[in-house]
Amino acid sequence: MPMTALKGLRFHYQQKGDGEDVVLLHAVTSNMSMWLFSNLMDVIAQDFRVTAYDLRGHGASDVPASGYTSADMAQDLHDLYRALKLGPAVLVGHSFGAVVAMHAAVLFPDIVRGLILSDPYFPGLAHLEPNLAEMQAWRDVRDALVGAGVALDEEINFTQLFWSVAALTSTQKEHIGRIMGESSLRWLSQLPRLAPTTCGRDVFAPAGLSAERICEVRQPVVALYDEHTSFQATRKFLQTNLSNIQVEIVPGARHVAPLQNTAAFVQLVQKYSRALHGQVLVPSSVPRESVLIKADAEVIDENGPGLRLGKPTNQESRK
Amino acid sequence: MSVRSREQIVQDLANLLHEFNGKEYSGNIGAKTLFFGDLGMVSIDAVILAEMLERFYNRSFPFSQFLSTIGRQGMRDIEIGELAMFLHANMSSSGDEV
Repeated sequence: MPMTALKGLRFHYQQKGDGEDVVLLHAVTSNMSMWLFSNLMDVIAQDFRVTAYDLRGHGASDVPASGYTSADMAQDLHDLYRALKLGPAVLVGHSFGAVVAMHAAVLFPDIVRGLILSDPYFPGLAHLEPNLAEMQAWRDVRDALVGAGVALDEEINFTQLFWSVAALTSTQKEHIGRIMGESSLRWLSQLPRLAPTTCGRDVFAPAGLSAERICEVRQPVVALYDEHTSFQATRKFLQTNLSNIQVEIVPGARHVAPLQNTAAFVQLVQKYSRALHGQVLVPSSVPRESVLIKADAEVIDENGPGLRLGKPTNQESRK
Repeated sequence: MSVRSREQIVQDLANLLHEFNGKEYSGNIGAKTLFFGDLGMVSIDAVILAEMLERFYNRSFPFSQFLSTIGRQGMRDIEIGELAMFLHANMSSSGDEV
């Protein structure tokens, strides 16, 4: 399998297509298979060179004991970018992958052409989302495990989850499989290797990506929030405070849009990858957020200014 | 040499999967064997198998299309015979000889 060594760690990656670069970043506890199961990789490769990789500790990449903050993973992305000799890229991140993408835009602005973020929650904006434990995806997992007799805190505690899954008996697994489905059981089975690491704690650390730093991002940002997102306050914050943002809603999805509404997600990522790389934009399928593109590659919303493409300047004022 | 038959491809898959990505499977692997349910594979294994098959047959396959069908159907399981049929159809359509 294609691997690249970055500072002593091996990272599993795939590349497809030619042209300008698009990099796909999966969520924590997921892996790059998401981009193949959604067909996003092939669709984006029609126009661009697309790179997908397994974050550290995930998929077929190495599992170090520590270094799982968004800052660490943004550094991994930067190192991968250099190793594979990529050019300024559109970063497409789902959930924590979107946090890594945003952090990369802050730390390494020269490598980021634009950001497409899918339903992100930012640890640095945790004060906006005091009811994180009410997130449906967590409730579903917690309810299934508690129903199987596992003791789990009400609050989200990934480290506890990883150790609990590592200790599941076959009877408990059968119960969880009946409640959540076999595919969820397969997902759970990949978590124990993260148990001895700092991943569970690190991914909830702001790691320097504060509200102030997020507001400094000048690259164009497309925020794809799921219709049933738990992060409305975060969406509003980004919409209000980022100087160059377009928000779209993915119908029917509730945090895992790449799999819950694959068609809409893939269409939006394709459209905005083209827009952020300065290609012609197709009209949006989501009426209220639909955008048009002008000949000078400025994308405008039907209701006013939207994404401004090209190299951002320091003179740009914040909304 | 002619294009490999579906039965030959099932055998190729069986040979690859008995010892795969750190997992050993001692049972019989045939067309009805389930990639996830019987062999204990997880999602990333499907990606790794796809990479191995492209190397093994020295050609590319539209795996993303195949896997997205599985994804659209709620990440259901994959029968080895179904995967063999996909590989055979692609080899046949491009006239590959292996």
